[in-house]
Parts: sequence; structure tokens; C-alpha cells
Amino acid sequence: MKILVVDDTESVLLLISRFVEALGHKAIQARNGLEALEIWRLERPDLVLMDMIMPVMTGLEAAVAIKHEAHETWVPIVFVTGVGEENKLAEAIEQGADDYINKPVNFRVLEAKLKAFSRTLELNRKVREQSLKLADYYDRAEEEKRVVSHLMEQMVNAELLYDPQFEYYLSPAESLSGDLIAAARTPGQALYLMLADGIGHGLTAALNVLPLTQPFYTMTEKGYTISDILIEMNNKVRQVLPVGRFVALVLISIDESAGCIEVWNGGMPSVHVMSPHGEVKHIWKSSHLPLGIVPTNAMDVTTDRYYFNEPASLVAYSDGLIEARHSVKGDYGLGRLLRVLAEVPAEQRLHHAKSDLGLFLDGEAHHDDISLVLAYFGDRPIALSKERVAPVVEEVNVSTFAALGGSAWRYSVALGVDEIRHINTVPFMMNFIGGVRSLVYSQSDVFLILTELFVNALDHGVLGLNSAMKRGADGMEQYLCERANRLEMLTEGRIEIDLTGLHHEGKDVLRIRVKDSGPGFDWSQLYIGDSGLDHQQAFGRGIALVRSLCASAQYHGTGNEVVAYYIPRTKAV
Amino acid sequence: MTPTVQIEGDVGRVVLSGQFDFSAHREFRQVCETLISNPGIKEVLIDFQNVNYLDSSALGMLLLLKEKIGAASKSLALVNCRDSVKQVLDIACFGKIFIIR
Repeated sequence: MKILVVDDTESVLLLISRFVEALGHKAIQARNGLEALEIWRLERPDLVLMDMIMPVMTGLEAAVAIKHEAHETWVPIVFVTGVGEENKLAEAIEQGADDYINKPVNFRVLEAKLKAFSRTLELNRKVREQSLKLADYYDRAEEEKRVVSHLMEQMVNAELLYDPQFEYYLSPAESLSGDLIAAARTPGQALYLMLADGIGHGLTAALNVLPLTQPFYTMTEKGYTISDILIEMNNKVRQVLPVGRFVALVLISIDESAGCIEVWNGGMPSVHVMSPHGEVKHIWKSSHLPLGIVPTNAMDVTTDRYYFNEPASLVAYSDGLIEARHSVKGDYGLGRLLRVLAEVPAEQRLHHAKSDLGLFLDGEAHHDDISLVLAYFGDRPIALSKERVAPVVEEVNVSTFAALGGSAWRYSVALGVDEIRHINTVPFMMNFIGGVRSLVYSQSDVFLILTELFVNALDHGVLGLNSAMKRGADGMEQYLCERANRLEMLTEGRIEIDLTGLHHEGKDVLRIRVKDSGPGFDWSQLYIGDSGLDHQQAFGRGIALVRSLCASAQYHGTGNEVVAYYIPRTKAV
Repeated sequence: MTPTVQIEGDVGRVVLSGQFDFSAHREFRQVCETLISNPGIKEVLIDFQNVNYLDSSALGMLLLLKEKIGAASKSLALVNCRDSVKQVLDIACFGKIFIIR
């Protein structure tokens, strides 16, 4: 230790200094309180041995000044005092001195005291070091949280979460949420909703769910199915997260125009369909493992469908909601949630459930992230697609199109059996379409046209399926089953798709040609008039949609080739 | 929560109690590691009879354990699950990858 020895009597000063040095410490000297204070400022000794009565400044005054300046650093001050100064001594200790030793100095006692102070000083130094480290960790953790929460906000893309078709409530248990809600629309205007719950909460949970956002947004934008997105997500999660970490997830597609909801539930609480009167119409239980647990090839990505033809709403939530616990009342519970949702009209449900939860928790904190999503559908009986179609109304002579010569660009795809089976063609082509500048406002139209024409060519042309199968309660399921079977068994077949960018009187025109290897059909019936469409089960709705979007759509040959002309939009819809 | 271990022949039983969540992870790992490194043990049973609650980090611990047990060529089963525990395992569809008795 470096010890400051203070005494106005030269012999005492020298004696104590020598003794301190003999014990292996370093002694520095001062001859009164003021000098002691000045030297303390320069040298910062570990301990002060000080006389009490001194000229210029007393030991007590110096001690108070030193303690004041030392702030949180502990400088033990030990008074070396003559008998009869007890009152002063008590006062000194009260004001911050740490100990005293009587004059004449008993060196055995001084040695023991120095040893004791040395031990305490060491302890004190360790505590200070650790608390500095702790403060440092804390600052770093706060900074990390700040960065991640910013990242989350960016990734979650709050802008897309403003959609009149759904509402949500998210309340993290800590500053960061391990629950993630995302929503986006496909080019065909189906609403995709994702509700994910990363294991645990706080920073690590938030990090767990981050890898999901990118595939969700980019693939939805291109019109991939939710099964395709799941495959990509599981790959991502397995790639990034260590064993023992997983993400429970529910992925929902609401397609108003098809009147169909698809859900894949892996490890999340059940998703409910609730009628306007509050009856539960349908439940999707968790029927899959959460993401990240099994390799993608062992995963079942089939979705469960629900067809609707009247208004209802969909309820999805994380377990944090029904497990929200009040110290006396226990868990919030699914029963209470469903009851509370049912007792008010659909548009007040979210608000009502939120305030009821607040009432229930009564100021107590919830231990897990809470999220609740309500989506509304079926209240627009006219298919969304028809409503938004408003095609470019322009009288254009079809024969002029046919005569159009020079093309600005051309994009052709020819698919054999293997490609038909394994390439998700339309989303794949949307990658290209996304880059064509004249089609910047027409992504959604082109997606719909391509999807309809491609599905027709595949289902009815190559696979020879009849749409009449779709009728009846389980018709759609049977149709899809049969479709999957035939696709699996397919041994020959070919589909060609040609996209050509043309110019016509200073305007852009898109030509879409789709040809399949099927036998075709009697297309002349198609052109009898609107009434004829009802009888054309196999080519009804889709073709009507394509026609309403295109300036022209004509079948050729045996009916296995269709050519459509589309005039791109020049403004955002 | 302090897990206890019972060894019956070549079966090691880990009896858990109370809440099985992240706060139990150190003890749980230690107990399981002694069973995994014991060459006489062929099967490990995780006994939930006294567990009233488990959270997602507990599920994560079970996944980790499954990985380690598999690497040591031993078998693993989750036993005596009460309804509250079974519900959590069901939602996570853990029945697909764990033997639950």
C-alpha cells in the first residue's frame, strides 16, 4: 500500500514512516492537514495515518475534505491520537474517519490494523471492478436491445400491417418481443398473415423470429403459396438457429376472391373462425411441429382449408395471451377470451378483448409476449378481383394486335413433365415481370392472368381434370387430391408460356400466349355469350376474369392454345 | 426445481418437480449429462409426475437432450405427463418426435 503519514512532530512522523516502510509499504509524508490534502490530491495514497491536532489545518478538517473529494473511492483514514481526545475522536469517526490508534503507537497493533485495512481495500477494489463491469454489461445490453428493436421494426414493416382486413394487438413482456406479426398481400390480393412465437422472450426470442420475415415478404410478393414459404422458412430457421431453438408459427392465407382460407399451424394455439354472433365455426389445431425442429424434407407443409361464403372473422393469438397470469385470479384462459370476443360486434372485438385483458391483469405484468390477431372476411360477397378489375377500357381492334410486328422483349418458358411438377412457374416468372418497367403498375393483373391461364393449361389441359368435381361440400378437397395424384403420376405433358412486350401507337401492349399438350376443348362455345359461361364448368370463372382484365383473350386450334393481349396500367391501382 | 435421479437396472429416471422452465436448465443439464455418460444406462425417462407447468424453453431443453441422447445411442421417453403438461406437448406436436407414455 501507499500510505500517507501526517504529523507535525518530526520525530513521530519519521518513526511511523520507518515502521510502515519496514512492513513493506511505501510511506509519503505531510506535516499538517493542508499539506496532507495537497499531497493526497497528487499522490492518491491507499490509506492515510493522520495526527489530529496540527497547525494550519487539523486532521479532522483534512479528513472531511479528503473524504469529500474521494467520492466513491474508499480511502481509509486512521487517526493517530493522544489520550484525552476522545470527544474529538468520536466526532471524527462520525464524520467519516475509519479507525484510530492511540499514542504512543503500539506497533504490533498498527501492523494488525494495516493488514486488516489491506484486506478490506482489496475486497473493495474487487467490488468496484465488478460493479464497473456490470454497469458496462448493462450499457452494452441496452445498446444491443436498441439495435435489435430497431431492426425488428424495420423487418416487421409496420406499413404493411395497416390493412383494413385485419387488426392486431401485440404486447411484449420485455422491451423486445419474441412474438412477431407480419402481413402482406400476394399479387393476386390474397392476404397472408404470419404469427410467430420464438422460444423464450426478450432478445434471444426476437432474434429467433427475425429469419422469418425476409422469406415471408419476398415470397408473398411474388405469389408463392404458403406451403412454399414454409419450406423456405424452415430451411432458414435450421440454418441460423442452434439445436433446442425453434419458432412456433401459424401461417394464414385469406383469399377473398376464392372464398378460401388456408392455415398451417405448427405449435401455436388453435386458430378459430368466429361468426358475427360469436359462434366458433371452425378450429385449426396445431398439427405440426414448430419450425426448426425437423429437416425440411421430413416436414408436412400441407395446409388445412376452410371455405366461406358469409362474413366471419378469424382469431389467432400466442400462448402468452391465454396464459397471462394474475396472482389471485390465475390464467386468463381460452374460455374467457372466446366469451369476451363473442359478446360484442366484430368490429369492437379487438378493443374489447384488449381492455378486458387489462382489467383482468389489474396492473400486474405478464410474463410472456402477448399477441392477438383478428382478420375479417366474407363481408365483400362480390369477389375482390371483380371489384378491382376496372380493365383499361379501350376499343382496340383485335386484328391490329395480331398484326403487331416488332417486339420490345420476349420471355419464353417451355416446361416438360419434371418442370411442371417441381417448378412453381408463375411466382418464378414474376421475378422477371417485376423487372419490366412498363408493367410496374400491372404486377397484380399479370399475376392473375398468368395464374388463371397456367392453372387452366395444367389442370384441364395436361391433367384433364373437370371443374365439375369442385361442386359439393368436399368437392374442392377431392379436386385438389385428384390433382395431386394425377400430377404425381404424370408421364408426359408440356406447357409453353410466351410473354412478349409490344408497342402499339406509342403504347405498351403485353401479349401472353399459353399452350399446353392437352387435347383442348370446344372453345367456340365460350364465345356464345355470357349465358354460355355457366355451362362451361371447366373454363368458367377463370376465363371470365382473364377476359375482364385483358383487351382480348382468344383460344386457338383445338383449344389448347390461348393468346391474350393486355394493356398495362399507367397508374397505381 | 431440483431434479432427482433414480436408477433401476439400465433405466435412468429423472424426476422433475414444480415449474420446468429456463431456471431449471443448469440442474437439468447436469443430471442428464451424468446419465448420458453412464455406460450402464440404456434408456432415459423424464418423469413429469410432479411438474405442473412447462414453458417453451423447457421444450428447447428436451430437444437438446434428445439430440445428445441420440448421439450416445440411448433411448428417451417422456413419462407421467399430467394434463397441463400434455397440453403443452400436444400443441407443440412433440408426440411426433418423442415417445410419450
